[in-house]
Amino acid sequence: MFLLPKGNPLAENVPISKLQLPDALEKLKNGKLTGCAIFDFPAADCALVYDEGKLVTAIVHRDGTEIKEQAALQSLVELMLLASSGTFSVYALSKDITLAVMALVGGPATIDSQEIKLIDFKALLDRIKTEQMTATLKIYTPERAGLIFYRSGTTVGFFHDASTGIETSAGEVQQIAGLPGARVDLRVLADTDGFVLDLAGLIDIRSLWEASSGNPFATPAPAVTTSAAESTEPAATESAAPLSANDIESAILDLANQSVGKLGRTLAEKELMNLGSVESLKDPDKLQEFLAALEKGSKLLASSNKIREMKEAISAQAAQL
Amino acid sequence: MDLTGFFQALTSFLPFLPKIYNPVVIDYTTLFSVLCWLLAASISLYFSLNNSRIWTSIGIGFFLLFWSQSFQLNPWHETFTIMIAIHFTIGTISILLVSHGIQEYYLFTRTLEITGSKKTIYLGTVLIILVSILAISLNPKPSLYVLRNFRLMNNIVWFYLCILNIYYIAKIYTEMKDSPIAKGIICLGMVFVFALIWKGSGMYLQMYQWDKAWLNIIEFDGISTDIDQHQGKVAFARALFKYMNVVTSVSVAGTFAYLFKLLR
Repeated sequence: MFLLPKGNPLAENVPISKLQLPDALEKLKNGKLTGCAIFDFPAADCALVYDEGKLVTAIVHRDGTEIKEQAALQSLVELMLLASSGTFSVYALSKDITLAVMALVGGPATIDSQEIKLIDFKALLDRIKTEQMTATLKIYTPERAGLIFYRSGTTVGFFHDASTGIETSAGEVQQIAGLPGARVDLRVLADTDGFVLDLAGLIDIRSLWEASSGNPFATPAPAVTTSAAESTEPAATESAAPLSANDIESAILDLANQSVGKLGRTLAEKELMNLGSVESLKDPDKLQEFLAALEKGSKLLASSNKIREMKEAISAQAAQL
Repeated sequence: MDLTGFFQALTSFLPFLPKIYNPVVIDYTTLFSVLCWLLAASISLYFSLNNSRIWTSIGIGFFLLFWSQSFQLNPWHETFTIMIAIHFTIGTISILLVSHGIQEYYLFTRTLEITGSKKTIYLGTVLIILVSILAISLNPKPSLYVLRNFRLMNNIVWFYLCILNIYYIAKIYTEMKDSPIAKGIICLGMVFVFALIWKGSGMYLQMYQWDKAWLNIIEFDGISTDIDQHQGKVAFARALFKYMNVVTSVSVAGTFAYLFKLLR
């Protein structure tokens, strides 16, 4: 059961036939949404999680598989264009709940589908507290589901399939935990040092939307069940409309600026100049050379985690050349 | 903390070590300071091995600084004056290396160029240390006067290079204030402010011959001193020298732990 919390509703059950996806996402960004947008299609669900207008996680559930991040956005465009019906809702959430939802949607499963009676549930709760996890604990049976949200080890809210909003008491979720065959998932937010990529900056939804809606025979992209890092491979983005070299160069410079600061941008400009043009990044050897040079300088300015994320994001951009 | 028994046992276990005749008493503040230098040295050495080339100079510099400070725990340093001279010389080399690294860092922020290799820095440092040790060994055994000159040289070089480093760190910060490690650079700048006061107060005492080493020298020479007329200034400078030594060591350890977190 794909369950996401409903906070303060900003839009609820809007038919997707009335929706222009790029405009809708632009509004969420400009409105600095902290919360999630949920798309409900007959055969799929999609959730986009926003943190102050930044699209931090995207997921599509379709045919029993999970499609994440950039591939999820591509899939969403196709679902929007091909599905005969569906609804769109937007809920504002508190920062704490949003972080826990990020863990639920994009975080790795620390505990995956464990039967509650087979684990030491109290010890698990203690572990969440002592390790100061930002996480979501999902408790479910085939019929029911409940969520407990944690921020730095502290419980920040509860939600279940019959809730109309975030709850402050565990009562109903506790009852679900007591049902026979109840299982538990624990998804924890990975330590990102406060750095989270804006997915909207990695993929041009408007171009993708216009390219796809202009072709009535557009075929659905394969259901890619990859992580964000894997989805940076060229194959995952082949179906995206090609961006101009200038757009990609700007995006790469923005990524360097975002990850490393002003010097990172200058460094990227310099290294691109050394290569001749951004088009050179089509050559895998040149791309590696560029990334290595960027990393060498960035080591004086940022953490290795940030540099790795920047390299992955730049590779994803370069793949669109 | 009286370590005489420990070192006497050590010398009987390792007979090639010189015998201990005088009591070896180390105060806790000194021990704490040296442990802070050790922490900073360990992290900085780790940086020099696993990070960008420019951190190599800064990292090795801070490691050598620990080496120079560790003489305070060396029970033989009073017996072997050459050893004290070597400690002070290594302390001087350490600030030269750190300053070299900071100036390269500044150059990088202006030109975005990184030249040279880690190997050159490692080999160059070893060579400078060996030449210094050779020069000290080939010359007469340092007298108390000469040792004091070594200490004075160390303080003067530190004092002026600290001023230069603070200036360059301010320039580096201006260039990279929006980068993720900008706060770490401010902390590094603070370290040099503390070191400036520490070494500056030491230099001040030596310049006016109010330092302990000079007073020990003149104790039996009949040379007069005007220290009695300046008790307030002397006490203030001595307090600065003592406490800023601890503050600098703590700030260095804290800064490197923070940089380690930021660069991880």
